[in-house]
Amino acid sequence: MRMEPDSPTRAGAADSGPPQLAVLSRNEIEALCARAARGAGLGWGHAEEAGFAVGWLHAQGIDGATALLAHLDGAAGRAWRDLCPVVGPGKWVARGRHPICPLALGAALSDHCELPEGRLAGGLSVSSASHPVLVLPFLSRVAGILGETVRMRFFCGAIDIGCDRLSGDAGLLAGLVEAAFTLSPRPGPAGAGHSHAGGYPQATLSALGDLALRTTVPPSARSRADAGAGTGDND
Amino acid sequence: MNAGTSLAAPGASPGPRPPGVVMRLARMGAAHPTRLSFLRVMLRRMEQEGWEFERSVWQIDNCGVGRAVYRAIGPERCYSLVAFAHDLPEEMRSDRVIATAWDATFALFDGTPDEADLDRLQANVPLQEAGRISPRELSLSRANRSVRLWAHVVESLAEGRQPDADAIAATGYLMRTTAVYGSGKFGAADRRDIAARPELAGPFQAEMLSVWLTRQFTVDIVEHLATAKGGAAAVRLAPGIRHSLGVGNSTGLGVAPFLVRHPMLLHNWTAAREEALARVRALGAATPRAVAALRAAHAEACRNAADWRSEDPAQTARLADLRADLRRIGARLKAFPGDGPRPWDAIWLWGERELSLEGQEQLFALLIEPHGDLVDELADRMSVEEPVAVRIDGAMQLGTLREILRDRYGWALAIDFTRPENAARFWYVSEDKLEPRLGDRASDAGAEREQPLCIARLASELDAALEVRDAGETVAAFLLHHPEHRFMVRRTQITARQPYAEVRDNLVAADMRPIDLMRCKLAFFGANRFDPRSDRWVRISLFQGAPYPLEMKRAGT
Repeated sequence: MRMEPDSPTRAGAADSGPPQLAVLSRNEIEALCARAARGAGLGWGHAEEAGFAVGWLHAQGIDGATALLAHLDGAAGRAWRDLCPVVGPGKWVARGRHPICPLALGAALSDHCELPEGRLAGGLSVSSASHPVLVLPFLSRVAGILGETVRMRFFCGAIDIGCDRLSGDAGLLAGLVEAAFTLSPRPGPAGAGHSHAGGYPQATLSALGDLALRTTVPPSARSRADAGAGTGDND
Repeated sequence: MNAGTSLAAPGASPGPRPPGVVMRLARMGAAHPTRLSFLRVMLRRMEQEGWEFERSVWQIDNCGVGRAVYRAIGPERCYSLVAFAHDLPEEMRSDRVIATAWDATFALFDGTPDEADLDRLQANVPLQEAGRISPRELSLSRANRSVRLWAHVVESLAEGRQPDADAIAATGYLMRTTAVYGSGKFGAADRRDIAARPELAGPFQAEMLSVWLTRQFTVDIVEHLATAKGGAAAVRLAPGIRHSLGVGNSTGLGVAPFLVRHPMLLHNWTAAREEALARVRALGAATPRAVAALRAAHAEACRNAADWRSEDPAQTARLADLRADLRRIGARLKAFPGDGPRPWDAIWLWGERELSLEGQEQLFALLIEPHGDLVDELADRMSVEEPVAVRIDGAMQLGTLREILRDRYGWALAIDFTRPENAARFWYVSEDKLEPRLGDRASDAGAEREQPLCIARLASELDAALEVRDAGETVAAFLLHHPEHRFMVRRTQITARQPYAEVRDNLVAADMRPIDLMRCKLAFFGANRFDPRSDRWVRISLFQGAPYPLEMKRAGT
């Protein structure tokens, strides 16, 4: 049997059986997703953003981990310049034919929110982002910085995002592999859409665990010896 | 102990020590517990709020196998330590994180567990990392017996006599914990979900409560086994011996990276300590009560230093320094407070000139000890909800970022990383239970999977990248082109706001000692008797000399 040392959901009791959906703490899903993103090749800074994004969605009851996995799989092997947005006032576009990485996009939206290129007043259009549900946490950050609600409109719905809540068609967005959208500020708070965190498919967690393992080093006799006491510890 | 405060002396007050002095590994590795240490904070709260304690379940057989529950009942909520005692074969006992069985395993339960909860926990807690707990649990931990002491104590008590005092002093604990997990680990409650509770708002309060209740369990089960063996002839531990026993803790590299991964927390912990010292130094007088409390604290520190044992050559030398320094402090205290305008500042400045780092940091703990009314509220500032990714200020100009980098990381920019000794090590995570380890870059495989704990080198690389950019460019634009620097830009901006956020030493240097990081963290916990077993493995003791939960106030009494 293949061991999965990075899976946080290995069942403990022999008779408990593997659950269909595994319930993780926010801390666990953040840590797993950050490591998986790094294992997939993102820089440490964006790997942290991946953990933040999935953790924020977790608190809203949305499975961002499956979207992250799908994005990381789809973007595997692509250079940064093909993942990051080309930034301009009122309009952000992908550099090539692929959709923009939602983590690169979200981080850049957050970084630019107080700059002319990132201004939302008057509307900001984004040509196409991969797995756009992962952008929502960054818009929550923008909402917190600006003290406003951010409205995202996409072809089949709209979502209002506040600093710790969202309302609207997040369920629809979560199902999209890619989408173009526009962003604009909206006065007043976002409606309360908070729900309890659900579970995660075992297959998602297992695959993220495999990616996360790429950040680890297989043990050696020497490393095991170095990790312990110089003398026996059984005293 | 509160000994009254005085008005500050006139003139400019001594400020907190600068980060360049405080955040050096050599000094961090000489840290001593203080009254702001987390276990002291917890004990004060429990005493002030009149918490009650009871052992509500004791289902342990004569072989020492079974389960027990200890309840801590506060003004609003109750918490229960659920303990499972095992019969562990000798050959399976190991403190290493790769161990798979332990003498005892524990979970701290939120509330009072019913039978179904206990059964669920019994199916998982003994497995530790291989099991799952739930948001009803706040921590998961395990402990092993001290082989040196356990059999001797059981046999002695069973035969109706007290164990040998020297043997007790040489070890200082009956069991040592080998890991205490909290904060959402293995399915436990997320810290965010419990941090609003006053009793858990401070750092590591759930973990401290768990270990304190574990200390009660260790003496209860040793007396239980003695009674099972000796019957009517058996005696209980003498109060003085019980009082001197703590809970041991055996810790490897796993705790070392914590301080680097939590820069905001490190800042808050350190800033609170430094503010405490600055407040005491600013006092314009020393009341007789404060002087008496200082002398009592010094006497206690001398006792602790006399009983503190280590076979580690470096620590043995430091202990000799500490004992000599405590004698000098004692001599200096004879003339304290004197008639200067700021007696506490004067003795501190004397200590900075005259004492070793061990002695200085011991003096730090002594000077704030009499001043609970002045410094204890600083404990409320030590927590911070540190997000996994702090927002970056993208509007900052690169010229400003570089100024910050040069100011806060000048020590790092001065390091020549082309010299092998300055990049001799690398931190990595082992596949074994995902534990952090330290490799040798020249000879060990895996450097391409290095963890970002090489902060000095990352700062140096960021500086080199900034050198060729326009100072008027924004951080947001820079990071679009250089995503590889996002991690270090974030840290630089954090450190601009929170100057104690960074350890100001090269963590991949050949001569770096991981146990310096470990001692700093463990001193914040309140650990004493720091006993290195190698440069990356350490034994400590918690709660020695503290009251036991069931001595504080029994439920229903």
